Amino acid sequence: MYTALPILALSLFDQDVNDRWSFQYPQLYSPGQLNLYFSKKAFVRCMLHSAYSSLILFFIPWAAMHDTVRDDGKDIADYQSFALLAQTSLLVVVNTQLCLDTYYWTAVNQFFVWGSLAAYFAITFTMYSNGMFLIFTSSFPFMGTARNSLNQPNVWLTIFLSTLLCILPVVAIRFILLQIRPTINDKVRHKVRKEALPAPTPHRKPARRISTRKSGYAFSHSEGFGELVTSRRFLLKRPLKSRPVLFATTESPLAQNQPQHYRTITEEQDPSV
Amino acid sequence: MGKVKGKPGPLARRPDNSAFKQQRLPAWSPMLTANTVLPFFYFMALICMLLGVWLLLTVQRTQEVKMDYTKAGECSRCFEKLKNESNAGQSCICTVVLHIEKPLKGDVFFYYGLKNFHQNLRRYMDSRDDGQMVGRKTNLKNPSSYCMPFDRDQNGLPIAPCGAVANSMFNDSFTLYYNKLGSPVKVPLLRRGISWYTDKNVKYRNPKMDNLTLAQVFEGTAKPLFWQKPVYELDPFDQTNNGFINDDLIVWMREAAFPNFKKLYGVLHRGDDPFTKGLPAGTYTIEISYNFPVQHFQGRKELVLTTLTWFGGQNHFLPIAYLVTSSLILLVAIVLTVVWWKFGKTGMNMEE
Repeated sequence: MYTALPILALSLFDQDVNDRWSFQYPQLYSPGQLNLYFSKKAFVRCMLHSAYSSLILFFIPWAAMHDTVRDDGKDIADYQSFALLAQTSLLVVVNTQLCLDTYYWTAVNQFFVWGSLAAYFAITFTMYSNGMFLIFTSSFPFMGTARNSLNQPNVWLTIFLSTLLCILPVVAIRFILLQIRPTINDKVRHKVRKEALPAPTPHRKPARRISTRKSGYAFSHSEGFGELVTSRRFLLKRPLKSRPVLFATTESPLAQNQPQHYRTITEEQDPSV
Repeated sequence: MGKVKGKPGPLARRPDNSAFKQQRLPAWSPMLTANTVLPFFYFMALICMLLGVWLLLTVQRTQEVKMDYTKAGECSRCFEKLKNESNAGQSCICTVVLHIEKPLKGDVFFYYGLKNFHQNLRRYMDSRDDGQMVGRKTNLKNPSSYCMPFDRDQNGLPIAPCGAVANSMFNDSFTLYYNKLGSPVKVPLLRRGISWYTDKNVKYRNPKMDNLTLAQVFEGTAKPLFWQKPVYELDPFDQTNNGFINDDLIVWMREAAFPNFKKLYGVLHRGDDPFTKGLPAGTYTIEISYNFPVQHFQGRKELVLTTLTWFGGQNHFLPIAYLVTSSLILLVAIVLTVVWWKFGKTGMNMEE
């Protein structure tokens, strides 16, 4: 539950470039078609990454805890505290990795990531509370563990070290690949940062507009997609400037994201103008 | 020819043109650029180095004295004696000598350590009844089946506390003497307050007493097989430290995560001379009541005396790991800088 919701939010809401740029550069879709994201190489890379992370997430807490005690001398190298430490390190690493992978930070993403961390701590403290132990004794034997181990700076320093050792290699490798061998996604995102957004994609106009193309459509018919597809305009790289823009839109990024700008997908007259 | 799309029917399921559903939410879109990543790496290297140095200085301030007494001196005689199982009930007292060169300043903590004792074995850890230890009368007379075969003795009486964890409780005891100018002075040890507050006050409770003595409350139960004394007589000096809330029992019942572990035995009482500032340097004699057999699992026993800081004990791993990590991060940062300088700086790779 702690780890599933943020990933779900990532898959639902993440975008590396927004829709205007995606229309502009249809080559962005080619890695998906070429199955670059889920090949054997990608899988092996994933497995190596997880093997490395698992080793870090066990052996760093093991080495840090195997001969230690709390600052008041009492036990901290016990089974329950160690389990809690390993689990907390894992949660922090997973959420940080997720933050790295998210290219499109919306309010929903933030809510899911921070919410999942908060839920983890809330649920842990509840499960390890006196009340739960006294009611369901055999199901919640870890009573007191969170309170007694998470107030040790030793434990937090271990979590910080595990996080660093898991995350920094990923950042470094990504950075190197970005410099040496950027993918088409990276190139477009680089352009996004440097240049203004392209003009909005052409609207498929309602029938009453003057058509500037030499086509044979009669006035009373609504325009379909057939002409557009066969004219291969989808494959053009430069913005289509042949048609006048129907609505006076500004080019600022914020304006592009406002919902009032209704991009018609069909041929109806736009009621929201 | 395109299809006529003017009817509302086929379009009724079209998603709303809201920002949420058309994925146009206001958002921040970060990217790994050189001027964020490189300073970040250098900064992290610096942080790790500072942390490592600070922790190393903190750990160097602790002092630790360890002594393996499994077969040390006279205790080898007790070790041989315990090899014969019929001698298990007899106590054996041996004395070892400990030299402390530098005085241990501050609070001194005494631990007993075991090596190769797997308290983290699953069947061992399951063999306990938390309901009985929290003082429920029903569990007292009917221990849970998880405790089998340590739930009832051969007469059918329920064992309190049941289970393998309680049964294997560590029962060596130590008395330290400081040899000051020939006459030994007993080192005062505080043997209370060595367990977690939540354990002592919530997790382990004696069954309700209502004007009965502890022995009467535990009537109809038997002591665990390997114990010499029943649970209500564990501490002859302090009546409030008997029953399930005995500190030594609680400390033992908190299973260790690793096969080599140490558990708190006592804290130096610094009220009187010559122990007001800690343990002075010199020769110490330790009188050990050697009861716990370790040869069956090739284990070792040891005694540990240590001082503590806020970081807890003498564990050099974390400071050294931070220093190593800091140098690794620095190395990686330099590599990244070189890569960026040679390849990415001009942005030539970013052309399509």
